[in-house]
Amino acid sequence: MHKVWAVVRREFVERIRSKWFWVMALLGPVFFGVVFLLPALLAGRAGIKRIVVVDGTTGPVGARITELLDQSEVFHAVRVPATAHVVDSLTTAVGAKRLDGFLLLTDAAVDSGTAEYRGSNVSAFGAIAALERTIGEVVDAVRLEHAGVDPQVVARARIRVHLVTQKIAGGRTTGESAAQSFSLAYFMAIILYTAILIYGINVMSSVLEEKTTRIVEVLVSSLRPFQLMLGKVLGVGAVSIFQFLIWGVSVRLLLAQRGRFISTGDLNEARQVFDLPHVSTATAALFITYFVGGFLLYSAMFAAVGAMSSTEQEARQAQQPVTWLLVLSFVSMFAMLNDPGSPFAVTLSLIPFSAPIAMPVRWAAGTLPTSEVALSLVVLALAIVGVTWVAARIYRVGMLMTGKRPSVRELVRWVRTS
Amino acid sequence: MTTPVPILVLDQVTKRFAGHTAVDGLSLSVATGAIYGLLGPNGAGKTTTIRMILDIIEPDAGSVRLFGEPSGGRTHTARIGYLPEERGLYRKMRVLDVLVFLAEVKGVERRAARAKATAWLERLGLAAWRLRRIDELSKGMQQKVQFISTILHEPELVILDEPFAGLDPVNTQVVKDAVLELTRHGVTILFSTHIMEQAEKLCDELCIIARGRKLVEGALSDIKRTRSGHHLIIGFDGSAGAAAQVFADRGLVNKVDDYGQYAELELAAGADPQQILQRLVASGARLSRFELQEPSLNKIFIDLVGPDAARAEARPDA
Repeated sequence: MHKVWAVVRREFVERIRSKWFWVMALLGPVFFGVVFLLPALLAGRAGIKRIVVVDGTTGPVGARITELLDQSEVFHAVRVPATAHVVDSLTTAVGAKRLDGFLLLTDAAVDSGTAEYRGSNVSAFGAIAALERTIGEVVDAVRLEHAGVDPQVVARARIRVHLVTQKIAGGRTTGESAAQSFSLAYFMAIILYTAILIYGINVMSSVLEEKTTRIVEVLVSSLRPFQLMLGKVLGVGAVSIFQFLIWGVSVRLLLAQRGRFISTGDLNEARQVFDLPHVSTATAALFITYFVGGFLLYSAMFAAVGAMSSTEQEARQAQQPVTWLLVLSFVSMFAMLNDPGSPFAVTLSLIPFSAPIAMPVRWAAGTLPTSEVALSLVVLALAIVGVTWVAARIYRVGMLMTGKRPSVRELVRWVRTS
Repeated sequence: MTTPVPILVLDQVTKRFAGHTAVDGLSLSVATGAIYGLLGPNGAGKTTTIRMILDIIEPDAGSVRLFGEPSGGRTHTARIGYLPEERGLYRKMRVLDVLVFLAEVKGVERRAARAKATAWLERLGLAAWRLRRIDELSKGMQQKVQFISTILHEPELVILDEPFAGLDPVNTQVVKDAVLELTRHGVTILFSTHIMEQAEKLCDELCIIARGRKLVEGALSDIKRTRSGHHLIIGFDGSAGAAAQVFADRGLVNKVDDYGQYAELELAAGADPQQILQRLVASGARLSRFELQEPSLNKIFIDLVGPDAARAEARPDA
């Protein structure tokens, strides 16, 4: 045990000493934040758009739309009458970036519900949606008024519904909204996928280093190959847990400052995202459990891949089947989020190779019976034992082999005979 | 110098790999305190044999006894030092850390390992480098570090696989000196080589193998005696006395080339050269030269291994 401990310590200390570890530790939260927030920020932080309303209507519609747009937080709007050449000069202004776009209004807006917007970025969905909403609101009201409805009645009828969502777990409402559950599931999947992949490959490179430098001969004459592999996996695993601790602390510090972020940018989307769901102890425990399980399962496979390869290049090729297992689990997350209770999702969370990502995703997205979690954990544990057993045999033979990478048939023989 | 209890005994050890037998029913015995050479051409099974002794791979048949116990090298790893043929260290690790780690997996306590490593680095002039990374060291320095790692835990048996391979003459001398120094402290050395000149200078016992099989084993002097053509060269200083009578004794001499002042004898089987010397002196001959010509180990090796050596790489079972 003393020897395994020496291996664990070496893996841990050497990795923590490397500057890559600290780059990851410090930039990790930033990286995840960017991956996570970027879409929301891009959609939201379009800034105030300067637009011109080219008013070709005969009634007050143009003026009311301009006023309403200008009142919104999204637009700064100016109304100009539709005259000859105005479109040309506005187009030039947009081209010169003095203007974001212009809205062409005619009576057709009220009659047939059509209007035209020309701008530099027509794919800014948030802004276009706001534009559409505002025009629709005014046009609806004008139409009703034309039909003789009291404007006050119209105003009251137009009060919008705001749907509040709350997740029910274990027969109780949790206070998590649908958006929060989604965020949590998404976030956990990204971290699980990235961490299992990165640290699994760490195990692989470490195995490969000992093989290519032939240190393994001295090591294997001192401790059993399984002890060596165990120490390596545990050492790298400890580094990953340490990494999580650093990330956890820094994210906590970041969140403590979130009030400042929100008050500076008046952003609905960003506020929603920053309003992270409360991560319960059960969720955290489940996350860590599945991470450890997934890491053990995959790092055993990565260790075997390292042992059967002789060069970095070979290892990169040989790792692909293992990586694909992980990628498939990650990609299927999106289908699972749609319907966490579907047979597809249930199946994935019971297959040990996808369970480490599937189960936390389903847990975050919906409610899970304890029995299902337990079953998935049992299957995962059995798979870890089985896969480690096979991997250890491949490792044992492979570590001393040089030359050509073994064929599948040779691998089977290694497992059988060693 | 040697005690009757062998430190290492192999009994009918066999290892087969896919398609060929690497080691075939090999038995040998290494006396405690000896410098034992495991000799053979490339691909003879030397490294495989060493790996089986060290428990790196398991024999398919036969047994390994170390220190009088029926268990392989890993059980006794604290008492064995091993320098593999292909050297290598963790390139990104600091010198001192590598040495401490390799001693720790041999069972040395961390603090003790640190102290010993520091002392050894100082002794070999590497003290200033102990906090540098391995890949900052020259190749020669790396070899030294690796050698320290082999003996840091003060093993009783040191196994060196081709220790002279790839060394320049200076470093060859360094390793040779180190080996001799270790034996002075009672350490048993087992080393493999295919370079006979080194073996001849260092070994007191040896085993020659080819194609996984033992060809000969024993003390170097015995092997030379039994494998030699028993050639004796005699030079006379003036008087040959009654030498001709001695040469005519078929119990002692098989064949003689007598040149008067110089003679070459081929001894009869079992003849003792010392007896010839006594009889010559008694016959009144004055000798300027009396030399037992032994064949070099190289010649014995080539005679034994023969042209098969070239085909020794792989021997298909089929």
